[in-house]
Amino acid sequence: MPAVRAQVHQVSKKMGRAQALWQVEDVFGAGQVHGIIGPNGAGKTTLIRVLAGLLHPDEGTVSYDEGGTVLSAADVKRVTGYFPQEPSLYPDLTCREHLEFFRDLYDLPQADFERRAEELLHATGMAPFTDRPAGKLSGGMYKKLGLMCVLLNRPKLLLLDEPTIGVDPVSRQELWDLVYGFAGEQMTVIVSTSYMDEAGRCSQVHVLSSGQMLAAGTPEDVMKHFGVTDFAEIFLNHERK
Amino acid sequence: MNFSWRRARSVALKEYKHILRDPFTLAVTLILPLVFVGMFGFVIDLDYKHMRVYVRDNDQTSVSRRFLQEMASSGYFDLTPVHSPAEADQALEKNGSPALLIIKRGFGRNVRSGNPETPGQIQLLADGTDNVQASIMGTYLQGVIQKANAVFARDNPELSGGAERAPNGGDQIRSRFLFNPELNSRWFIVPALSTIIIGFLAIVLTALTVAKEWENGSMELLLSTPVRPAEIVLGKLVPYFLLTFFDVLVVFVLAVYVFRIPFLGSFLFYMAACWVYITGALALGLVISVVTRQQQAAIQFAFAVGLLPSFIFSGFIFPIENMPAFFQYFTALFPQRWFLLISRTVFLSDAAPMTLATAFGAIGLFAAAMILLAVHKFKTDVEP
Repeated sequence: MPAVRAQVHQVSKKMGRAQALWQVEDVFGAGQVHGIIGPNGAGKTTLIRVLAGLLHPDEGTVSYDEGGTVLSAADVKRVTGYFPQEPSLYPDLTCREHLEFFRDLYDLPQADFERRAEELLHATGMAPFTDRPAGKLSGGMYKKLGLMCVLLNRPKLLLLDEPTIGVDPVSRQELWDLVYGFAGEQMTVIVSTSYMDEAGRCSQVHVLSSGQMLAAGTPEDVMKHFGVTDFAEIFLNHERK
Repeated sequence: MNFSWRRARSVALKEYKHILRDPFTLAVTLILPLVFVGMFGFVIDLDYKHMRVYVRDNDQTSVSRRFLQEMASSGYFDLTPVHSPAEADQALEKNGSPALLIIKRGFGRNVRSGNPETPGQIQLLADGTDNVQASIMGTYLQGVIQKANAVFARDNPELSGGAERAPNGGDQIRSRFLFNPELNSRWFIVPALSTIIIGFLAIVLTALTVAKEWENGSMELLLSTPVRPAEIVLGKLVPYFLLTFFDVLVVFVLAVYVFRIPFLGSFLFYMAACWVYITGALALGLVISVVTRQQQAAIQFAFAVGLLPSFIFSGFIFPIENMPAFFQYFTALFPQRWFLLISRTVFLSDAAPMTLATAFGAIGLFAAAMILLAVHKFKTDVEP
């Protein structure tokens, strides 16, 4: 089955008094790594949560399709993996216990689980730490465990909200390698980040500022569109205006 | 997506691991029942004994002395003689002297005469600041008088002409208290302790669980998976159910084997009632947790709807029959009232379970309503 494509149509969302998203129009093509970039407070988390079905747009719609077949809300939940920005694992449960918990939540057959868990533990280099509680993992390892939990289900749409925040440069590189290792025809990845240097790693960049989608395209196209050589300049120029 | 037992079981298993690894929860759950039983079973004793009474005997006859002997041997009163009116005044002014008993001059003569027109006179001056003790003292004294009359009549048949001629001797009320013949307050309190422990502990335990998941962010991750509210609710209920039920068994064993309180009713019926009541209390905690989503607010709510009604509206301390009509109906909303009724009844009497059908139905209805409410109120998104 192919990866999932998500289309955001004129989505607006208020969070409290703030207009977190304003008439956002965007398409997240299937099988690509999409980066939603923007400064803090741009609306990245709100957009990711709307895409994950955890927030409902005040206006506009989000639709998903899998090789041209429109997906229902229940289907979307089944094929979507989401890892939030905030710590969201259980500090007292070990890595293995987390994986087993998510195995049951995703209703995976034991044989599939064992194969996938092995593969993930190997790819992340987490195999020696399976008995360590999540609360005692380093920042990078914690994110890797979260990623493993959601990747167990082999999602067709992977949503990661600032996965590299608070993580050292080496672990950041490893996390990106992991994301690219799993992305492809089977999986669409949407990652939000406020690190401008990470925008260049994405195949598609979506520039979000003050709740508005300023541009989207390949990193080169987006920089050309704004006439800049660095993504940070886009926001600095936008702020000045 | 249908209800999945596997997902519910995985939530239960996860919760079970949290409990085992959280020494605080475990300690509270295991120690609290012991504290409650210790506090209410040993410390609080509503049976007044050895009440200090100063006695001014103005009669000084063998009859008055015999009466005081009867009074002292009852065990309820510790008598201290005073020898002058001044000493009597002093005794009354002293703190901690609840009462002064004055035997009027001519007491012995009047009693001996057996004439109902001129009975022997005793005056009791009791400290009304402790109204409970003062009224209990009055009641006990009545009992002592009745007994003294009977003893006097038995010992002096030639004077009184038998028990019939003793004051009130002709038409005595003979009271016999069923189910708790000695009116032992421990028999009244200890069987009710499960009501308080479950009504408080179970609500607090589950009130924290969902709120904790919201606060530490794990709920957001959980909601992004296919897990459904009913599965989370069931998964959260089961481990806390077992924990609370263990507490109930502890209280039961202490009640029967340490406090020697008789258990005369149907054990199976009592257990079934415990299961239903525990489920309702746990589900109420979940409703609080689901609605507040914050541990601090949840614990405050849990105290308000758990602890207070358990003590005030259950009949544990204040008899429901003595409440104003509105509150009598109001207490019907609280499962604590119904479970307390079941608990006391099955401990001390072998009443047929059918006589408790209303109470059982009420706790069942409450449990079902709370489970449905918890599932219904469970948010599947992170909207504020």
